[in-house]
Amino acid sequence: MASTSLSSTRTLHGFAATWSAFWAMVRKEFAIMTRYPVEFIASFAQVFLIVAVFSLAGLTFADENGRLGQGPASGVVIYGFVLFLFLSDTLWSIGYNIRLEQKQGTLEQLYLSPASKFASLVSRVTTILVWTGLLCLTSAWLMTTFLGKLPLANPGLGLYILIMSLAGTFGVGFALAALTLRIKEAGQTLANGLQFLFLILCANFFPFSALPAGILAVSRCIPLAYAVDAFRSTLMGYPPGFPELAPIGVEIVIVTAFGILMPALGFWAYRRAERRARMTGSLSEY
Amino acid sequence: MVELLYQPSLRSKLGVLLASARMRLITISRYRGQLALDLVMPIVFAAMPILLGRATGGAAAADNFLRNTGTANYVAYMLIGSSAFTIVTYAFWHTGYWVRWEQETGTLEAIYLAPTNKLWLVAGVALYSMLRSLISATAAYLIGSAIFHVNPFQGELLIAVAFVVSGLVPLLGVSFLFGALILKLKQANALVNLMQWGVTLLMGVFFPVAVFPPMARVLAWLFPPTWMVNGVRSALLGVGFFFGRWYRDMAVLWAFMLIAPLLGAWVFARVERNIRRNAGMGEY
Repeated sequence: MASTSLSSTRTLHGFAATWSAFWAMVRKEFAIMTRYPVEFIASFAQVFLIVAVFSLAGLTFADENGRLGQGPASGVVIYGFVLFLFLSDTLWSIGYNIRLEQKQGTLEQLYLSPASKFASLVSRVTTILVWTGLLCLTSAWLMTTFLGKLPLANPGLGLYILIMSLAGTFGVGFALAALTLRIKEAGQTLANGLQFLFLILCANFFPFSALPAGILAVSRCIPLAYAVDAFRSTLMGYPPGFPELAPIGVEIVIVTAFGILMPALGFWAYRRAERRARMTGSLSEY
Repeated sequence: MVELLYQPSLRSKLGVLLASARMRLITISRYRGQLALDLVMPIVFAAMPILLGRATGGAAAADNFLRNTGTANYVAYMLIGSSAFTIVTYAFWHTGYWVRWEQETGTLEAIYLAPTNKLWLVAGVALYSMLRSLISATAAYLIGSAIFHVNPFQGELLIAVAFVVSGLVPLLGVSFLFGALILKLKQANALVNLMQWGVTLLMGVFFPVAVFPPMARVLAWLFPPTWMVNGVRSALLGVGFFFGRWYRDMAVLWAFMLIAPLLGAWVFARVERNIRRNAGMGEY
């Protein structure tokens, strides 16, 4: 069977080979990124504009002294936005890049190479994540000038929660990439829709207390919502009422399980969809 | 300069316009998920500042909002802003992006070989964009009002509709200018994304442009959708017209209606001519 013979030579084995392939792909992605300076600068300016729009929107609710009413508003919005930037990268970039390779007609060639497919998928997001990290630092600084001083407690635990959240969304990204192989162009619409849905359900720009009870019940079923809550509550030093969804110990357990299990589950789903596409000959069909 | 071998009648020109719009409407009708997103996105977009305001402002949210904007109805204020954002964004993505889209799909050179004026083709794209955005924006405003329990039919409804309709024509002109920029710089996705947020800021989607420093305020006033959004908000929510009376603001919008399409079409034609003389339209 064609798929069996392919699978026996599909990767160069060993950590060194995988790392080498991954590094080469990251460098290639970085080289492409630098060839589009307008895009590079535009993405930076875009973050500034988003920050300005939502900060000015928030300030329309400020009291007569220019302060934003109750609660630690700056921490909720800024840390929520930081996590949103990272999450949106990991959520849709993998599927988007698979789709791009299909459109360019290079996906089949990639699958003929014996390099690690996992490295290929992760490399698409790595360069973007580095760039997003820089954007986050800048946007956090910008937002503090609009919304006030930013609390920064427990940075170590905050970083751990961020890493686990990213690992989990990598898993969701793999699963969405699998779906892209199955449902093609509709996969991108679905990814866009999910991104918007998560904005509300994971309450990136506002506290969970603002959500109606019915929607909050749905939020409680999404591990990503616990990641957002745990991340900002930890960095804000657990002010009264935070975390909102569960005690912090429970939230950390949920986020850790999400970060460990979801990548494995997502990659398994991707390999299944990929195998199916190769057997049915639909890998490059779009 | 290539002259057409025959002069098409007005009837055949209108036929081109309608066929262009119809083709796009048929195409989008095949993407039902995308159509559903069209309705959801403006509501989600407006929900973020609404929920943020409710959470941070608490019981004083409406009072604070009234002091800062001139209306206590922040839900309708944000929904109008996000609906206007939809109309502007669609104009940019559809009309401004049109040439780039045809370049990417490899059909632009074929279109340029067709014995028809490109202006009628673009007018068809604009008609499609306006229809789709108007339907999405109106439906999102009505559904959003129902979700957040506000009355969507308040104030001077007819004046509000007049501001929306009058704002569409100058917006078309601005999208031509933007299309010229895309043709020139090529990196369309990045530019559209950037411009999308740039105009969101400029037209005061979620806040009054009065918060801007003087220079930025002048820039905002030079952008026609700013007048459209403020006109609709003033008519429905009474936040106050820029020049005190609705007909004065409408007069400004009508001035834009004359200037913007002509300026946009002229700049677009110039950029297009330069490109055809150099590398050609097929190169991207």
